[in-house]
Amino acid sequence: MTDAAIVTQKLTRRFGNLTAVDGVDLTVAAGQFFGFLGPNGAGKSTTIKMLTGLLAPSSGRAELLGLDFAAHPVEVKRQIGVVPEGMGLFERLTGAEYLQFVGRMYGLDRPTTQRRSEELLDFMQLSDRPKTLIADYSHGMQKKLALAAAVIHGPRILFLDEPFEGVDALAAGALKALLGRMTERGVTIFLTSHVLEIVERLCSHVAIIHKGRLVAQGSLDELRAGISGEEGSKTTLEQIFLSIVGQDGGQRPQLEELSWLM
Amino acid sequence: MADVAHLPGVWEQIRLVAGLRWRILGNNLRKKHNQWDLIGMIFAGVFAGLIVIGLCFAFYFGAYAFLSGGREAWIALLFWGIFLFWQLFPIFTAGFGAGFEFRTLLRFPLSLRAFYVIGLAYGLADFAALASICWLTAIIIGATVANPAVLPAMLLISALFLLMNITLERTIGSWLERILARRRAREMFFALFILFAVSVQFINPLVQRYGRTAQPWVRQVVPYLAVFPPSLAGRAIAGAAQHNFMDTFLGAAGISAYMLLFSVFLWLRFATQYRGEELSESAAPARAVARPVSRTAEKGDALRLLTPQVAAVLRKEFRYLTRNSFAFFLLIMPPIFVLLFTTQFAGRHPTAMKHPISNEFFFPGMMAYLLLILMAPAYNSFAYDGKGIQTFFTAPVSFREVFLGKNLLQAGMLVFELTLSMVAFSYLVGLPSLPVLLATLAAIIFNVTGQMTIANWSSLSFPRKLNFGQMRGQRQSGMAVLVSFGTQILLGGISAPILFMSRWTGDKWLPAEVFAFLAAAAVAGYSSSLNPLAVLAEKKKESLIDALSR
Repeated sequence: MTDAAIVTQKLTRRFGNLTAVDGVDLTVAAGQFFGFLGPNGAGKSTTIKMLTGLLAPSSGRAELLGLDFAAHPVEVKRQIGVVPEGMGLFERLTGAEYLQFVGRMYGLDRPTTQRRSEELLDFMQLSDRPKTLIADYSHGMQKKLALAAAVIHGPRILFLDEPFEGVDALAAGALKALLGRMTERGVTIFLTSHVLEIVERLCSHVAIIHKGRLVAQGSLDELRAGISGEEGSKTTLEQIFLSIVGQDGGQRPQLEELSWLM
Repeated sequence: MADVAHLPGVWEQIRLVAGLRWRILGNNLRKKHNQWDLIGMIFAGVFAGLIVIGLCFAFYFGAYAFLSGGREAWIALLFWGIFLFWQLFPIFTAGFGAGFEFRTLLRFPLSLRAFYVIGLAYGLADFAALASICWLTAIIIGATVANPAVLPAMLLISALFLLMNITLERTIGSWLERILARRRAREMFFALFILFAVSVQFINPLVQRYGRTAQPWVRQVVPYLAVFPPSLAGRAIAGAAQHNFMDTFLGAAGISAYMLLFSVFLWLRFATQYRGEELSESAAPARAVARPVSRTAEKGDALRLLTPQVAAVLRKEFRYLTRNSFAFFLLIMPPIFVLLFTTQFAGRHPTAMKHPISNEFFFPGMMAYLLLILMAPAYNSFAYDGKGIQTFFTAPVSFREVFLGKNLLQAGMLVFELTLSMVAFSYLVGLPSLPVLLATLAAIIFNVTGQMTIANWSSLSFPRKLNFGQMRGQRQSGMAVLVSFGTQILLGGISAPILFMSRWTGDKWLPAEVFAFLAAAAVAGYSSSLNPLAVLAEKKKESLIDALSR
């Protein structure tokens, strides 16, 4: 049995009358590449925010690496890396300055921060414009920088909210390889993406959240078997996703309504 | 094939654009927190309307007086006033940014001709254009009442003058739109605007000093102004009043020529926009360059006495300070104000008063005024962090360290600025007596640490995002401003009687002793406030992130 990296119990978040995340019980084993899926507004980002300290839960608890987040926030944050929604960059710094800032915030010494910053900038192909401010980066470049900042301190869990959005194919390939190597070394990766093909290719385990509730969780094979009723099924993640999330009808737009377009 | 029955005509498109602008305005006001904008707009609208109407009377009486008093050529002065306002006002407000980018209309199926006509019509919707048209109407009425024979010429010249001004204003506006599309250009423009605002303070002293000697030079320049449109308009009207119709013809022809020239420039500008123009903010792809091995890490760390987190925040704050044109110009203001106020109110020969104010009062007053300016940004210290605020919450740090880093930079900046101002002050008029100097320094420590404690709380409780190099919508939270004023009034109210104590008691050192005690208490209070503030930051993180990540 593998140790659990992330465990949530009845994790709930309410915004006034709206329950964005409703009693989510989640278990992610250490070293797993975990995909967290759901339609728009399902509660994915709210869950990630609660797991990374950006949002306090209304009730329930989250345990990361065996530590209760609410009781040990600083100790937990030291061991996780985050690419939050909107990336959370200080846009008036250069890429190198931002990485050095983040490295120091995580308590790395200056030479280590300097060395890792340079290596990460080279890896992300961001080192050719040392004086360019982040505000002048393209969206893809900002995404790569946010990823670099999330890993500079060598986290044991990495939370990635739409990490490949806007990243070119070349860089995305290198990133996927890097993330794969990290999971081999025991790093847990918790990823949300709307591109189901990416999740299917990268993740070993998946959870699906819909209207704030966790509606499926398990390995891809387990989910396939659950849908088709047979082991070794060739069902795609998209089919699994649509069959689970599209079950309550009325969710999928009716093409007949746009007959004038066809 | 797109199922488009017919393309709307130019007038229909103008109506659609006008409707769009109105809808954008309405929707902006419907946003949360924008009730104050609406109230502000109503006040500003009433105020601006009163100014425009008041000036309408001035233009009416001006035109009437010139034409009935035999000084017809002087009407050019009125045209100059309108011309300068029409062209300069939109430039000075351009940094506030347009709520709607005109070139976005190009995604729709518009011909270049329609785009041009809509562009001109769009220029008529500006405040400067509307006000100028009111004033032109007032001139026409005033001139006609004085001399009915000039009405046809007034109508012709005013129409040409109006078209010329719209065309020129749109030409300048479209170039500004092109230039200000870049972040750096916007920041430079913002810096120039602030520099201009600061420079205005010097107009009165300069006029007092050099006004007389500059008069002959001004007289030499005036004849050259005759070739510009406002002077041509004046010449045309004067010609009509004096039955010298050649002047009227030449004036009208001159304005028409200008209008034609500006129309060509505007057409070329719009044609470039119409063909498609790259205004992207992102840096163009650059060739990879070999980067020298960095030596920074090998150098001694100047901030090694601080924890890595506090040092990191301090460095980041310093970089933000140097890259923020508004904050940068805030730094040059204190020495300028010292220079300005000391020459006006202190020293041997003050320009604004008969007898100079004593240094014993002027020095503490000046320092208090500088604190008022320099401490204001601390009440919304996360304003420029934007989405970066999330990093403070995802990193393993307490907000105690974040505040320490921010406050240290603020304190360092204050020390630098006040030292510079004191040096300037002592050079210009000399320092006050030692007891007053020490009492002032202790009062500064008391004031700054007291303010920082409250400002940190205010920054967490009333955050408002501000953008670099942008003026439009850049307003502090009303509550933060109230807290700032309230704190400064409170601390000023405590400090002022203490400074006067020596007078009442005859003990010169008493204020210094009292302020030293208060400063020690304020430092202790500040130190003990940091942990509760860190707890408050955790409680407020959602509203803080929400307010700054918009």
